[in-house]
Order: sequence, then C-alpha cells, then structure tokens
Amino acid sequence: MAQNINPSVSSHINSPTESKTSEGTQHISQDNHAVTKRLQKELMVLMMSGEKGVSAFPEGENLFKWVATVTGPDSTVYEGLTYKLALEFGSGYPYSAPVVKFKTPCFHPNVDTCGNICLDILKEKWSALYDIRTILLSIQSLLGEPNNESPLNIQAADLWPNQVKFKKYLLEHYNSHSKN
Amino acid sequence: MDTSLSWEEICDAFPILKNKDQSDCTADKFNILHGKILNSGSEWEVIELVMDRIELELRQNVAPRFWGKFTSRSTEMEGFEKFKEAVSTLYGTLSLFLPTLERLETLRNSPNNPEYICGEKRLLDTFKVITRATLHSQLPIDYQIITEDFYKVAFTVFCNTDKSDLNESAEDAIQCSGCNLETDQCQCKNIIQIFHETNRMLIELGLLERLAGDVLTRLIHKRIENHVQETCKGSFDTSYTNTLEEWLETVVMGWLTNIYGGGSSSENSVSLNSDETQNFLRKFKQKLEHLLYETYTRTRIEQLFNIIIEYPDSEPAVEDLRLCLEKTDLRGHLMGKLQRALETRLLHPGVNTPDILTAYIAAIRALRQLDPSGVLLDTVTHPIRQYLRCREDTVRCVVTSLRDEGPNDLAEELQRGQDSPAEDGTTNWEKWMPDPVDADPSKLSKARRTSDVISMLVSVYGSKDLFVNEYRTLLADRLLAQFTFNTDKEIRYLELLKLRFGDSQLHYCEVMLKDIHDSKRMNAHLHSDPAFELSNKQFVATAIILSAQFWPVFKDETLELPEIVKEHLNVYTKAFETLKGNRTLSWKPHLGAVNLDITIKDRTVNLTVTPIHATIICHFETKPEWTIDELSQVMHVPPTVLRRRIAFWQSQGLIWEASTDKFILVEDSVSGKWKSDVRSEMVCEEEETESAMASAHDQREEELQVFWSYIVGMLTNLDSMPLERIHQMLKMFASQGPSTVECSLQELRHFLERKVKEQKLIFSGGLYRLPKP
Repeated sequence: MAQNINPSVSSHINSPTESKTSEGTQHISQDNHAVTKRLQKELMVLMMSGEKGVSAFPEGENLFKWVATVTGPDSTVYEGLTYKLALEFGSGYPYSAPVVKFKTPCFHPNVDTCGNICLDILKEKWSALYDIRTILLSIQSLLGEPNNESPLNIQAADLWPNQVKFKKYLLEHYNSHSKN
Repeated sequence: MDTSLSWEEICDAFPILKNKDQSDCTADKFNILHGKILNSGSEWEVIELVMDRIELELRQNVAPRFWGKFTSRSTEMEGFEKFKEAVSTLYGTLSLFLPTLERLETLRNSPNNPEYICGEKRLLDTFKVITRATLHSQLPIDYQIITEDFYKVAFTVFCNTDKSDLNESAEDAIQCSGCNLETDQCQCKNIIQIFHETNRMLIELGLLERLAGDVLTRLIHKRIENHVQETCKGSFDTSYTNTLEEWLETVVMGWLTNIYGGGSSSENSVSLNSDETQNFLRKFKQKLEHLLYETYTRTRIEQLFNIIIEYPDSEPAVEDLRLCLEKTDLRGHLMGKLQRALETRLLHPGVNTPDILTAYIAAIRALRQLDPSGVLLDTVTHPIRQYLRCREDTVRCVVTSLRDEGPNDLAEELQRGQDSPAEDGTTNWEKWMPDPVDADPSKLSKARRTSDVISMLVSVYGSKDLFVNEYRTLLADRLLAQFTFNTDKEIRYLELLKLRFGDSQLHYCEVMLKDIHDSKRMNAHLHSDPAFELSNKQFVATAIILSAQFWPVFKDETLELPEIVKEHLNVYTKAFETLKGNRTLSWKPHLGAVNLDITIKDRTVNLTVTPIHATIICHFETKPEWTIDELSQVMHVPPTVLRRRIAFWQSQGLIWEASTDKFILVEDSVSGKWKSDVRSEMVCEEEETESAMASAHDQREEELQVFWSYIVGMLTNLDSMPLERIHQMLKMFASQGPSTVECSLQELRHFLERKVKEQKLIFSGGLYRLPKP
C-alpha cells in the first residue's frame, strides 16, 4: 500500500532532526494546504459532474467537515429515501481515510445505531486513489447490497433475507426518525 | 404772577396749543416768558404739554394726510409722482413744527430736567422718533407699491444714464429707455432731481431707511437676479465673477451712495461723510455681494447640466462656480439639483449609452475641476454609475470608445496614461486641505483624488475583468474582419492597455495577436512550398489559425461548405499537419471572408462576402432553382437565417424570389422589369456588423451556471440557507477555479430570484432551499 503513505510525512520520519516540533508544525501546515487544495478540487469536480443520487458540500467555513447526501439506489428497499452523512477529513487525507458517519439514522445491517459504517474501503482497504465521490457511491451501493457476514446491526441482518418485512420496518424506522 | 396770564402767554408762544399756525409771540416776548416759566419751575409741564399736542396733531392730521397719498395708482410714473408729493408735503408740514421745537429746546436746557425723552437727547430727535412711530402706527397695507414705484422709476433712469455714458447709440432711440417717454420730452433729468430731493428730505426726517429700506433691498435683489440671469444666459465660455462684481460696485453701489448721500454725491453732503452712513453702506455692500454670489451660483447650478455637457468649452463657468461655492453654502443644493438634472435628462431609456458615457466623462472632468477632492464627483455620479451598470452595452461602448477616436477622446486619455498626481499630499503639505464634511469616510481620499477618467469608467463595474473580456471580444471581431494581417496598430493599443490593466490580464489578447502574426507566416510558408499542392488550385485559400484556448467563445453556427471548398480546406489541413507534426486544424466555416468573381451572361461582379453568402450563390451555380428548405438541408443552416442572407443577393439583383420560399437565379440583368422594383423595395440588410463572439452577457450566463451547480450542491446537503451565507460559501469554495469569477451579492440575489421564478428554488422566511423532488 505504498500509495497510502504520505511522502512528506515519511520523509519527515526518516530525517533525524532535532528541532522536530517546529518542523512538524510546518509540515502540518503544508499538509493542510495540500489537503485543502485537494478538497477544493474534489468539490469542483463533484459540483461539475452533476452526479445524481450522491452529493456533498463543506458544512461551513471548515473545509475538513462535509455534509453528504445519498439517495437510496433504485429497485432496492432504500429507493426514494434520502440519507445525510457527515464526513470528516484528517490532515492525512487522502493517505488516510475520512471518518464517515450517517447523520440520518439508518436501519442497515452494516450501520450501527450511532451511524458508524462498516465498509472495508473506509477501513483496511482504503486507498489514496479513492475520493469523496467514490466513497459516496460505495456507500450508496452498500445500501442495496449489505455485507451480512459482519453485521453491526444484528436485527437488520436477521431481517434482511425477508425483503418485504425489512422494507416495512425500514420505512417505519425512517419515517419516525425523519419526523423528529 | 398770575397763572392764567402765563397760560395765555404760553399759548401765544406755542400756538399749537390753540390750534393756531402762526405765532404772534416775538423773540423778545418769548425771552421774557422763558424766564417766567423757568422761575415757576413748570418748564417740564410745558414741554410735555406741547409735545403731547404735537403728537396729537401728527396722529390726527399729518400721518393720515401722508398716507392718503399712498392710494391706488395706474402707472408707475403716477406712483412716482404721488410718493414725491407725499414726501414733500410731509416735509413741508413737519418743517412748520420747527420754530415750536426750537423754543421748547431752550426750555429744556435747564439742569433739573430729565436728560432723555423717548431715548433721545435733543427734542428734534425726539420729534423724529415720534413722527416715525406715528407714521408706522398707521401704515397702510399697500404702501410699498407706491414706494416701489418711486424707486423703480428712479433706478431705471439711473441705470440708463449710467449706461448711456458707455453707449451713445441709445440716443438715437425715439423713446428714452429711462423714463419711457419720447426723447425730446425726456424726463430723466427731472426725475433724478426729484428723486434726490425726495431722498434728501427723507434722510433729514430720518425716514429713508424706515420707509424705503426693505423696498430698496427687495428692488436691488430683484435687480441683481435679473442682471445675473441676463448676463450669463446660455454662455459658459466666459468668466463673469469680475464683471458682476464690477457691476455691483459701480451701478448698484453708486445708486445706493446716491440715495443715502441725498442726491448729489458732492463732498459737502453731510450725511455721506458721516461714519454711520459709510459703515451702513459697507455692511449693505457685503450683504449685496453675498447675494450676488448666491444668485450667480444658483443660476449656474441651474445650468450646470448644460455646463457639464459643454465642458471643456465651459471651463470658465466651472471655475466661476468653484470660486462661488467657496463663498456660498450651496454645495448640498448643487448636489441635489445636479443629481435631479442628470436623472431627468440622462438616465432614462431614451438616451443612447454612448451619449450617457460622453456626459459621464464630461461630468468627471468638470466636477474634478469643481472639486479636486473628488467627493462631489463621487456622490453626484453615483446614480450614473448605477444606471450604466444595468445597460447591457456599456462595456462595449466604453471599449469601443477606448479604441476609436470618438467624441469623448478616450483614446487620447488612454495614450496619456495614468496621471501621476502632481498635488501629492506629501510633497505639498502646506496646501493640504481636509476632505469636505460630506466625504464618505470609508473611502480613501487619495483614491478619490487620483482616479482618472478611464479608471472611473472601469470602476463602474468594480472589476477590470469585464472590460478586458470585452476588449478581447472586440479585438477578436476586428482581427477576424480583416485579412490583411496588419497588427501593428493593435499591438500599440494593447501595449497602452497593458500599462493600465497589467500584463496578466491582457495575456490572452497578446496570444491572439501572435496568432494572427503566426498565421501570416504559416500561409506564406504553405503557399510557397510546392510540395503542399496549395498554389495550383482553382482558388487561393488562406487561413487564420487561432489558438482556441485563448480566443473568446465563438457563437455556434453551422454551415456546410460546398464540396470544392471542403476539399481545398482538407488539403490545407494536411499541409498544416505535415508541417506542425501532431497538431491539426478545426475549421470554423462560418467565419472569414470570400472574394468572389461572379460571371453571368452579360456581366461580371466582384464581391467580398461572408462564407454563408458565398455558399448560397455557389449552390445556385450548379442548380438555378432552389426552395429554401432544400437549401437549408444542404447547407445545414436554419431557413430564417438563410432567408436573411439571401436578401443580400436579392438586393444585388442576382436572385429572385419567384414564389414564396422559391428562389431562382437571375442571369439576365436587363430582362424583367420587376427587377428594379424589387431592388428599390428590398430592405437590404447591409452587412450587419454582427459580432462573431458570444456576447459578454452569454458568457456571464455560463459563469452563473457554474455557480448554480455549487448552489444546488450546498442546498442539497445543507438544506436551507440565507442569501449572505450562500454568497459567502460561493466566495469561499466556488471562486477557486482557473478563472476567478466574481459575483456580487446584488447579482446573486437577482440570479436566485430568477431561479425562484423558474421554480427551481424556494424562498421562504429569508432562506433559500431546493424544492422537494
């Protein structure tokens, strides 16, 4: 996973300098700048692509916190439902994965009650080649195709095989929460 | 001593007590009586008694008789006569009291009398006070009419005599312009004499100022107003302040001196020499001077719009106004007036943009002279700037006039370059002046002082980009319109513009000019090399090769060229590819020019036309009859456009619309009598100089579209937001692209309002959000 190594950080680790702290902060600010640029660019690409179904935008002045909107994929139980997610990027991005959570409570085998998502590309399979768009698309497809092997929500995983029942419960769950 | 005897004696001495006019009492007799009264210590009673009696007389007889003259009159001359009569009668009557007063005065000179009566030391003065009081207590309402008549007539005569000193030709007139009588019966001298006489009397009575003061002032005010208006009517190219001051000094002050001097300005006249009168006249003059300036300033302000339009010919008028503004307090008035004049005369749809610009430029120049600090300019022209902003062709007009030698000399201004302000605050600190009180403190005074005409124009939009873009479009049009490849002049202008706008902004234009230059070389090279087989063709083709990245966006038009041309162009492309390796050409068939030799039966026509025109006539070469739909299909041009283009050939008499939508080629120019008719009827749209570029407006639309995707993005994720926050977010995130596009809050508001109208956005409670899908 060489692509997941931030070149500036690695060079920093290798250089045995004494004034580590000052250089460290300098690196971080430089990194921040690089990350900002990258996020800016991603935003532009995302805005220009006109992608249907997924969308994201910085939450406020802070470019490192985004809000994303994912609509449920067609011809799945999630069709027509809209979910809000929170994305938080570290200064290591894109060498380290962003923290992604559901803000809208989501009844799904791989999403726990706090909104945490169990998705391999956000964990061990993260690669610097991914970007916000691909993350969101992966999450969108995860909605339709859960990984029942490692469930975070047992109830949902148990219910999943019965799609009719699942959908009924899902809609109740969704409506009760969206009302709040 | 017997009191009754004394009473008789007193009545003898002061006949007024018995309503008699004549006193039988001789001076000797009075001397004896004087002693008697003093001895009895009753002099004070006597004085009071007599004064009471005099006052009664004044009240009951003199004043009503005086005011009785102030009745209605039919002519001014009659009024003059009446006034004169009234005054002289009054004078005469009052003179009769003098002996009585003299006698009383002797009584008063004893030590145990109060010093003052009615605030005056001398009895004569007391008498005057009483007279004035009595007269004023019975003031009729319209007394001023007669008074005014008197002074008006006199003033006219006075002005006339004054004028005729300078101008002898007036003598020839049948009517004397002074008294409006025939010359041989001229009353002028007489009038003046009466006038002086009457004034002298009034002065002696101390009545002049009381009776005629405000009439006089009003008369002079009116006179000043008239004079100022007459003097500076419609001419702005001379300065009038000195002339007017001189006029005030000689004519008006001369007259006043005459009045208060009691006629003859001879040195022995007592009142003229008295300090009091001098002082009074000086003060009066100051007041009048101020009035003169104020009147003049108001007149000029009234004309200011015209003055500005005629600037710089009207420079003296502006200079006058500048001096006068310092002396008067009319700045606010000026601002209001001028702004209103601008709004009613300039800022409405009936005025062409170039005219507004010309006026704006004149205003910049004129107001800069008027107020070097620039505050006036800033405030007054604010509405113009705002208005220009909403005119679509403003930028184009400015850029065009920057290039062309127009009426507003912008080209000249450009060549002069940016003024380095000579009056820099640091070098000339002794002459430093603070900004006027009405200056906007949030703006730098230096910026206001130094900005020149061009930067003022550019600042209409707040950014240089728009102007640079428009210049680029204009330049592109011009470069494409000519096939001479002569760019020297353009380069010169570009260099001038660079000085002002900076290199980076005009980099694109530079590349464009270089493209033209390179194309010239490329053409020469391709045509000279026989290997490319370009020179042995039926016709010669030269191309302008543009770097698409740097040229403005072209209007999208389709045109299918005739086969023969296409083939030729393919050869050209091949040649280019061989020369330039991995580059190729993408043709813009609707741009360019075609030089045609059209040979039909009896004649040959040589024309330079656009490719679309050429293609049309080319198709008629193979088939003399086309319907518009057929042609449209072959050429890939919409019928409406095609019809417009065909009109050109119709006006040339080469194509005739045989029936609706069916066109045939006219081979025989003499045959067919219809032709001349058609030609005269035909509204030929001569080569409309249509720009090949997408307009700035279209481009802006495109840029706004970019913003729209961002707005959709943020509203999808953040639900609802107020205008300010959207603007802030756009500024933060959307302006990072390759071209930093600005979008003002105002513009954004308009844009969002439009989207709301299109139902793509919902606005409620100050928040924008997307409609539910």
